[in-house]
Amino acid sequence: MTIYGTLIVLMYALAPFVWWLMAGITFLIALHIIAYLRGYQLTQYRCYPALVIAALIGLSSLLWIPWLTHSQLSYIATVFDWVALIGAMVGVFVLAFLALHPLSYLVRERG
Amino acid sequence: MTYRPVTLSRRQLLKAGVGIGASTLFATQLHANTIDTQAHIVILGGGASGMAMANRLATRLRGGTITLIEPREAHHYQPGWTMVASGVWAADKTMRPNAQFVPQGINWVREHAAGVDAEKRRVELTNGEAVDYDYLVVATGLQLNYHLIDGMSPSLVGQHGIGSVYASIEAASRTRQAIKAWVDSGQGQGIFTISPTAVKCAGAPLKMTFTTLSHLEDSGRRDDFDVDFMAPGASLFSQPWVDGFVKERFDQQGVNRHHYHRLTAIDPGAKQAEFVLEDGDGDERITRDYDFIHVVPPMSAHDFLKQSDLIAQEGPFANEWLDVDIHTLQHNRYPEVFGIGDVIGAPINKTAASVKAQAPVVEANLLAQLMGKPLPARHNGYTSCPMITGIGKAMLVEFGYADNYAFMPSFPFIDPKDESWAVWVMKDRMLQPAYYAVLEGQA
Repeated sequence: MTIYGTLIVLMYALAPFVWWLMAGITFLIALHIIAYLRGYQLTQYRCYPALVIAALIGLSSLLWIPWLTHSQLSYIATVFDWVALIGAMVGVFVLAFLALHPLSYLVRERG
Repeated sequence: MTYRPVTLSRRQLLKAGVGIGASTLFATQLHANTIDTQAHIVILGGGASGMAMANRLATRLRGGTITLIEPREAHHYQPGWTMVASGVWAADKTMRPNAQFVPQGINWVREHAAGVDAEKRRVELTNGEAVDYDYLVVATGLQLNYHLIDGMSPSLVGQHGIGSVYASIEAASRTRQAIKAWVDSGQGQGIFTISPTAVKCAGAPLKMTFTTLSHLEDSGRRDDFDVDFMAPGASLFSQPWVDGFVKERFDQQGVNRHHYHRLTAIDPGAKQAEFVLEDGDGDERITRDYDFIHVVPPMSAHDFLKQSDLIAQEGPFANEWLDVDIHTLQHNRYPEVFGIGDVIGAPINKTAASVKAQAPVVEANLLAQLMGKPLPARHNGYTSCPMITGIGKAMLVEFGYADNYAFMPSFPFIDPKDESWAVWVMKDRMLQPAYYAVLEGQA
């Protein structure tokens, strides 16, 4: 399987969800813009609760990602399985953090 | 029956994305030079292979005519039927309108074929009309011969404990119900069979056994069920290592294997199945009671092809399959005819993955034949079976003709001998999109 072939398949796999993806990306961008306009800076603002909650969400995906795929944790068997699952968990953590971090700033600022 | 219509804008978006990707990132042989021609190319069948060829040839040919003979409006993703029968997918996930895949500019004839006159280069239709061709791509798929099992018909699937994932998407759904009813009963005898002929997706009978075992084990009452597997020969799968693995796993999971047992008859009312013992003189027959039976019918090319001069006339595929060179996919006696997909006489590769490998070969060789050049491409027999060994895990089995069906892994980091969650996720989430990419000539 070539890289191009893999990209083609990924495009077809994501195609049914393209509007959801765009909506999610738009939401995150809008969230960050709004927070930025109110003084938020990703690298300057510290919020450990947001970090912890994002990490917990990421860790929890160890259980619900296999469930979402009609599988179970005990079937995560090969090195590639673990690499894929851990990569997905990191992705969940990053997305959760990117949403919670500016949200927590906006909530604090409002308070 | 309903299917999910997909808006034209999504297809345009995909093509735009592919076009941008191709032009900005990678050069690809999929966008090779166009060829000027006045030829009339007829593609007989609009399943996976026919639709892939329609899209490929529509891109490559300028001028000329492409006619697609396909009577159905709905396109079925058949590799998903085992997922439906196993209770993992809903049935409508496997259906799309054929119109989504038919390329613009080709002539779509919504009729059944009745015959092929290879000497006259003519396809006869059931409505009495005929379509003449300069070149023919035979992509008809295959015929399910349930009638060769006495007492059996597709209409029985879902009744009297009979399941069969192959008959149709409705049959796959009814098979799921039959399995569920059996598991819910809390006890009984299950029989799983395979066919003495070549079949499409040779792994499907094994996958149905493994996924049913998952349901039985999840019920907590596995010991109250007997599961037998009846095989007409010594092997369960053509790839030798996988054959050994499946036999060992069946033994570990308490499946009673019975070799040289060929299913010959079913008595639905009595819930009995008759088998002939193939290792004797063929006269010894045994009758087994069942509470659930999974039937795999004998398969062949369609009758109208078997009655034509295109059918193999000698060798292991005689009278049953299309007579092609298994490497060039060109007909052995009619050079203007090519075959692709389940219909061809070949030792393996009746799978959707094989279509992906065969389509560029048929494209290149048909166009070379059209231009009077030597055929440049050869098919290595590539086939792939995501061997589901339980609901939630699978093995990515890929192999070809060479070296006694040696493995041909696509990904160096996926061992075909390993059961894997990631391979299951591929089967569950990625192979259907890959299939549609093949249909649209993009992979």
